[in-house]
Amino acid sequence: METKRLRKNIWWAAWQSGAMVVLAMFIGLLVNEGRSDGLALVADWSPEVRLTTDEGNSMIVSLEEAERLCLDKKAVFLDARPPEEYARGHISCAKNVPWQGFEAYMDRVWGVIPEDAWIVTYCDGETCSLSEDLAKELIAMGYKQVKVLLNGWTRWTEAGLPVKKGDEGRQTAGIEKDRTSSHHLGATPCNIPERGNING
Amino acid sequence: MADVQTGFFRRQWQQDGPLGLIARLILGVIFIYASMDKIAHPAAFAKDVYNYQILPEVLINLTALALPWLELILGIFLLVGLFREGTAWMVTLLLIVFFGAMVFNLARGLDIHCGCFNTSAQGTDNSPMEWYVLRDGLFLIPACYLFYRTFWEKVGTARIITF
Repeated sequence: METKRLRKNIWWAAWQSGAMVVLAMFIGLLVNEGRSDGLALVADWSPEVRLTTDEGNSMIVSLEEAERLCLDKKAVFLDARPPEEYARGHISCAKNVPWQGFEAYMDRVWGVIPEDAWIVTYCDGETCSLSEDLAKELIAMGYKQVKVLLNGWTRWTEAGLPVKKGDEGRQTAGIEKDRTSSHHLGATPCNIPERGNING
Repeated sequence: MADVQTGFFRRQWQQDGPLGLIARLILGVIFIYASMDKIAHPAAFAKDVYNYQILPEVLINLTALALPWLELILGIFLLVGLFREGTAWMVTLLLIVFFGAMVFNLARGLDIHCGCFNTSAQGTDNSPMEWYVLRDGLFLIPACYLFYRTFWEKVGTARIITF
């Protein structure tokens, strides 16, 4: 008897669930159609598409170009990871501007970095979105030349490029380097370029 | 006590028992609340779904568009006591799926590398994932009770009545 009752409950649960899912999809798609900023039903989530500005320019910077920008001090590097990860190791010329709690770190950006400065943001991992979110916010703030070094920390260290350890307050003391490349350019603290020093 | 209960709540009380009714109301409020921000900001929610790195890309936007409405429907139906079997099943299933997705990403260290689950600029918590997992685990308690109550206890009651 109870098996029959249970079976009946399961059958009800199945069709009721199906009905609710169909209803939710119907309303969701209908409302989306009615929105001026509606989403495409199937979107391209590749980095190339995500990191293309409204003007059609790519925000992606190659490792080679990033290396040149850092070593020649032509760009401001911003590490978007949390302070603890930054302290464990970061690109030698990078300042820490964590995306989590960005408002608290605004004073490291606004009024300090010129609007026409080249900025390179990075975090760590193929899927990391911190650098991307930070870069987009910087563009919204009016910065013109913001680039993202995808999977930056991993690729930078794997290439043996200059790194440093220590938190934001101590980083310019040149505490230590590990896995630096032979040319030792990372030994010089990378200051924020002055206006006029910047290409483009 | 009985005097202040409306007929609607008395019927719910009789069907679910006091604990079942409380579980239903708690889950209903949670699901409605959870759906609001996602319905208001579909693009941001799509980004969140993408950050989970679990669904194939073709399903991300469809999920981001439909899931918040499903949560809202579930929340409303839970509150009014409609589709009892379907809501108990779907709420439990969704919470288990969310729980699993979070534990999966916690285990593979996705949050450590990217803080994917705290993309808002206000987030300052250094270990948000553990908190989200714990919170979802707490939500599962009323959901599992409601599931049990809906699918098993009623069957037991039916047997007593039948015999």
